[in-house]
Amino acid sequence: MGEIIVKVSFLPFLVFITPTVFGTITLLLWRLYPGFHGWWALAGLVITGTISLQIFHEVITGNILTLWNNNLYVDGLSALMLLLGSLLGLVIVAYSFPFIPSRLPEEVDARRKLSLYYGQLLIFLGMMNWTCSTNNIVMLYLSLELTTLATAFLVIFYWNRAAIEAGYKYLMLVTVGILCALMGIGLIYAAAAGLPKAETEGLRLLLISDLSKVSTKMAPSLVLLANAFLIAGFGTKAGLVPFHAWLPDAHAEAPEPISALLSGIVIKVGAYALARTITIFSPHYSAIVVFVAIIASASMVFGILMALVQDDLKRMLAYSSVSQIGYVVEGLGLGTYLGIYGSLFHLLNHTLVKALLFLAVGAIVYMTGTRKLSELGGLGRKAPITAFCFFVGALAIGGLPPFSVFMSKFTLFLAAAERGLMWAAVIAVFTGLLTVACFVRAAYKVFWGQPATNPGIRMEEVKEVPSSMWGGMLVIALVVLAFGLYPKILYPILDKATVCILEILGGVMH
Amino acid sequence: MGGGLIITLMVIHLLASMLIAEMRNLRAAVWTLIVQSFTLSLIILAFGWGQVWMFIWFLWAVFTKVFFLPWLFFRYMRMFPGREEEPVVGTWLSLALVVVFVLIIYQLLHTYISMMVPTISAATEPTKSSLSMAFTVFLLGAYVCIVRRDLVKVIIGVLLLENGAHLALISLVPGRWETACMGIVTNVVISAWLLLYFGEVIFRVLGTTDTLKLSELRR
Repeated sequence: MGEIIVKVSFLPFLVFITPTVFGTITLLLWRLYPGFHGWWALAGLVITGTISLQIFHEVITGNILTLWNNNLYVDGLSALMLLLGSLLGLVIVAYSFPFIPSRLPEEVDARRKLSLYYGQLLIFLGMMNWTCSTNNIVMLYLSLELTTLATAFLVIFYWNRAAIEAGYKYLMLVTVGILCALMGIGLIYAAAAGLPKAETEGLRLLLISDLSKVSTKMAPSLVLLANAFLIAGFGTKAGLVPFHAWLPDAHAEAPEPISALLSGIVIKVGAYALARTITIFSPHYSAIVVFVAIIASASMVFGILMALVQDDLKRMLAYSSVSQIGYVVEGLGLGTYLGIYGSLFHLLNHTLVKALLFLAVGAIVYMTGTRKLSELGGLGRKAPITAFCFFVGALAIGGLPPFSVFMSKFTLFLAAAERGLMWAAVIAVFTGLLTVACFVRAAYKVFWGQPATNPGIRMEEVKEVPSSMWGGMLVIALVVLAFGLYPKILYPILDKATVCILEILGGVMH
Repeated sequence: MGGGLIITLMVIHLLASMLIAEMRNLRAAVWTLIVQSFTLSLIILAFGWGQVWMFIWFLWAVFTKVFFLPWLFFRYMRMFPGREEEPVVGTWLSLALVVVFVLIIYQLLHTYISMMVPTISAATEPTKSSLSMAFTVFLLGAYVCIVRRDLVKVIIGVLLLENGAHLALISLVPGRWETACMGIVTNVVISAWLLLYFGEVIFRVLGTTDTLKLSELRR
């Protein structure tokens, strides 16, 4: 590994303040004509994306960016998350251009709704970027809480009865979860503050990187208790079983681009918070590794079994996210190079693939007005691009070669076996097989099965979605294919991100 | 400030928390929440006596927990029914359950407190009792969130969770500015506000604050 240079830079600040400012202006200028909000959001995200790319370039060339005495700290893992969030945000905004206005009832003031939609979307991305660039454990909590607040109104966007229930459930459960995380954070901080002065001399105990330096010296019982609270807290945000109750409803009732955002990014923020906190301790406590493996395996199996019995495509995708986040968290919990590498690889793959699938379902809804498997069929010829994108997503999430999900899952199987958790590896393989069955069945039914039986769907009028919708999907599908065929493209950044976690874990702070 | 005063305040805090959990009259429950939050503010002041940051946290806690949040509750509760939905197990059994729950939890925590402190020397009074009570209040909040049917009561449960977490924080690390900083920025006031707002919308649509009937919104 080359020498790492620590640079003081304003980029970590700009990457979260830019979308936040653009989002706030969108909310304030809601009276402007409806088209303004989308273009303004796109402009904000282009700038944010450029900053993220610049950060990515800096990190890939061996730099770590910090600001405000290491309170902001961007390493490989942060750079990966920032880039993913910004690029997915761009695709989602472009996709929303025709989609969101088409779903608004005529009596609704489109200016107000669109300004709320794009404003909150941008503020969410700003808060997510803050989560991914902070090194301060309290700021991590705060920014995570703000991502929930920013997305609550996006979940409830349609204001129908089901969306109201989903929004309330989401906000309530994630708030309760985040308060558990607060207890965990408080206990870790207390464990560090209780150490003799000589051991904490010169350390700032709210910085994750400084806490990691004394992680082995903290009282073990307190550390285990704190980790249980952190797993419950951040696990709720990540949608892990048994803290997942909010996820299927929120994903199903939110507008389709927001479902893509929730599944692609929001739950990953919870996983990111777990990556930054529990990995400080997991290599030193085998109990944490086993506990995380049990919860992750339960998520995998429960999620995919529930996905298999769904008739609603969005609920099927939502339950599949519960299952897939299990893979991500299991790898993180293992605390080994292979485990963390596989976990980050799967996080990246799942972000792209699940966003692609949700956007494809959005396209199906746009064309037919329904998302029920039992009412769909024969769309393959009418919408070949959507069919192609859905099939790419379905085969990829199933973990079939040559898609990159195959490689990330295989890495995780190996990592679990290497850590001596054969049972976890077997559960992961079994879940993979069920995932293939679930998605191939759905794809076949929607695109090749018998044409729709719903009298509300006029098959002769069904046609491919507008280019701004399929454009983004096609880009993601091609990226997924490219990552599968050339997985080495990802190696440098994934390796850097993994090494950064391992270094912080080892207490080596640059 | 003296350990005796802190423990007295803690006992009032715990009793108030139990009353909040069991009062059927929601207005009375919010008034009790004011008392509970004010004792928490005084505990913050007592633990951090003479420290500027702690004094700022005390003022912030008084503003948000004692004035602002109760004001929000009273404002939204004008639209809700004044009485809580009856617990599934009935009033008296519910009361007995809460008392037993608190006694068992407190006794367990007090006995095994050494597992929850950073050093053995920290397992002394008033930390020992205050930490046991903090965890008890936190778990009581979780209990209220899980078993209560009324939407307003569940939101009050969230506030009990928050107060329990803050109480644990101040009990464990009383003398550092970071503690005050953590306490100030981790207030869930906006979440509680939004939950009340969503609650009002649910009441308008569904005509009840019974969370067991929330699934009717999907039909």
